[in-house]
Amino acid sequence: MPVLKEIAAVASVTMPIGENWTVSRCRYSTEGETKGRLCIATGIHGDERMGQMIVYEVAQKIQREPEHLHGVVDLYPMLNAIGLDVGQRMVPTATMLDMNRVFPGAPDGTALEGICYAVLQDMKGADLVMDIHTSSQITSELYGVRLHERDADVMIPGAYALCPKVIWVLPDKPGNNASLTGALTMEGTKAVVLMVDERRLRVSSVTSEVVDGIFCKMKEMGIWTGETKAAPNQDEIPCMWEEKDICRVTCKHPGIYVPRELNGTFVREGDVLGTIINALDGAAVETVVAPESGLIFTERRYSAVYPGTLIARLCRKERA
Amino acid sequence: MKKDVIFTVPSYFRDDMDIMGYRFGKGEKSCAVLGALRGNEIQQLYVCARLVAFLREVERDGGIMPGKSVLVVPTAIGLSMNAGTRLWAPENTDINRCFPGDMDGATTEQIAGALFEKLKAYKYGVQLTSFYQPGAFVPHVRMMETGRQNPELGCEFGLPYVYVRTPRISDQTTLNYCWQLAGTQAYSLYAGKTQEIDEAAADQTLRAIIRFLNGRGIIRSEQTPGQKSTVITNEDIISVTSKHAGLLRRVKHAGAHVRRGEQLAFVINPLDGSVKEMLKTPVTGMLFFIQDGPFVTEHSPVFQVLSK
Repeated sequence: MPVLKEIAAVASVTMPIGENWTVSRCRYSTEGETKGRLCIATGIHGDERMGQMIVYEVAQKIQREPEHLHGVVDLYPMLNAIGLDVGQRMVPTATMLDMNRVFPGAPDGTALEGICYAVLQDMKGADLVMDIHTSSQITSELYGVRLHERDADVMIPGAYALCPKVIWVLPDKPGNNASLTGALTMEGTKAVVLMVDERRLRVSSVTSEVVDGIFCKMKEMGIWTGETKAAPNQDEIPCMWEEKDICRVTCKHPGIYVPRELNGTFVREGDVLGTIINALDGAAVETVVAPESGLIFTERRYSAVYPGTLIARLCRKERA
Repeated sequence: MKKDVIFTVPSYFRDDMDIMGYRFGKGEKSCAVLGALRGNEIQQLYVCARLVAFLREVERDGGIMPGKSVLVVPTAIGLSMNAGTRLWAPENTDINRCFPGDMDGATTEQIAGALFEKLKAYKYGVQLTSFYQPGAFVPHVRMMETGRQNPELGCEFGLPYVYVRTPRISDQTTLNYCWQLAGTQAYSLYAGKTQEIDEAAADQTLRAIIRFLNGRGIIRSEQTPGQKSTVITNEDIISVTSKHAGLLRRVKHAGAHVRRGEQLAFVINPLDGSVKEMLKTPVTGMLFFIQDGPFVTEHSPVFQVLSK
């Protein structure tokens, strides 16, 4: 059965000088009966570009094995296109807002609110929406699924099929609810965040595990019948239901943080995570240690830090 | 006057940033006034600086009422003001989206947490704030509808309008919203411009705060009579939006009274100068807000007309 490919504009706003800010969608679908619809979005923050490669790999696999697609896959790789172009997290118009805090948007609001509204309307009703985010240049993240407290009971069983290293239930806070996935969840559409490492020097090592997870999930949904990675044993993936399942490690002094690069490993209480240095004094001002044992799933990279800067997040649970 | 360091953010590359509070009087924590929370809120900083200078004289003359005290925090983001960035540059975050804050969180959450711990102890709260869009407002008092808002008290500032706004989800992490929920009668004052000093609007805002402090029995000083305030809501505001993108040439300015159908601005093709659109007001009223950036995109809200 042939796969149909259709690129369409979901929303568009005219910019002052000869340019449109368009949010485009590429739809892969099959004729006849569909087993479901999956939306994959990325690029809501302009400084997160790893999602481009993941969406590209998903599209490539669908095009290589069209006979295995039995549903609709909608790809939205460039939500904040202007931000992505200039490498800026916020939407680089005069208002400089975080697009992921403007949902659900408004049809009669500002240009940004109008775009957010149109995107949300286009995704509503899908069987699942994945919003791919990547760590910033100054943190490293283990591949994880983040979902919302509001529908965590329903969502967690299906999250394992994405083959993440960790699952994190985000608390029901106002900021989270104004995100794309938060607003979709409030509207009754299932939505998850895929958190991926922004590791530009070894791109394929990051993207392959995420792409494998996406196809594994598609198989579970019934919209993909090709070979995929086997779904992991649920007991192997730690699931952080509450904030108490997470240990946040912060630093006490300003300086330059030099990490030991331990992300993804279990550390024991007292293990050294990294050092804060002061170049002017030629001195190490702080040795940051793990306050307790756990799996590191967020790690600060080599960068300037302030007192209170997040150095690492440790998962206190070894198992689901 | 007592100078307190409310919170210190140590820095590696630069000097430490002290958030300074200026206290006047003793006793009940009566009123706190906060200036800049964003690096471009110059007008807000300026109004606070003048308020500190004014209260210093009032205190010297014995004008702070016994058992009452006032706290003024001119800025919580001096480091970004010096660097010319609107947000807290090291984390690229907006402090006014981090309330009530978290003393164990990131730097911006700590700043918000330390400020909030001080501010929530006050009976009345005044935040000098800016709008997320570049532009100018008719000076007014604003508060969010939390169920605890008190617009009648807001009329004591003597500004022409008291605007009660329905909060959006993202507003729930702002100071005004959290302040109200913590039990403070919190008001936001829009003092005209943001990135530059507007002397007339600064004078008007300063007089409004002085009027409120006198009205609440916190200080006794010379004051000028205020205006009778009108309480307005979202339903009284009509937005005029551009259908086209281009250069914006305004004909009218904030505060102007306009009649239905009157021209407000032109959207001009930025390359050939042709007029793409003429913006007109759909209702008779007063221009409550004007966007003052040089460009507009399609669907930009350019004016807010108050029809009440």
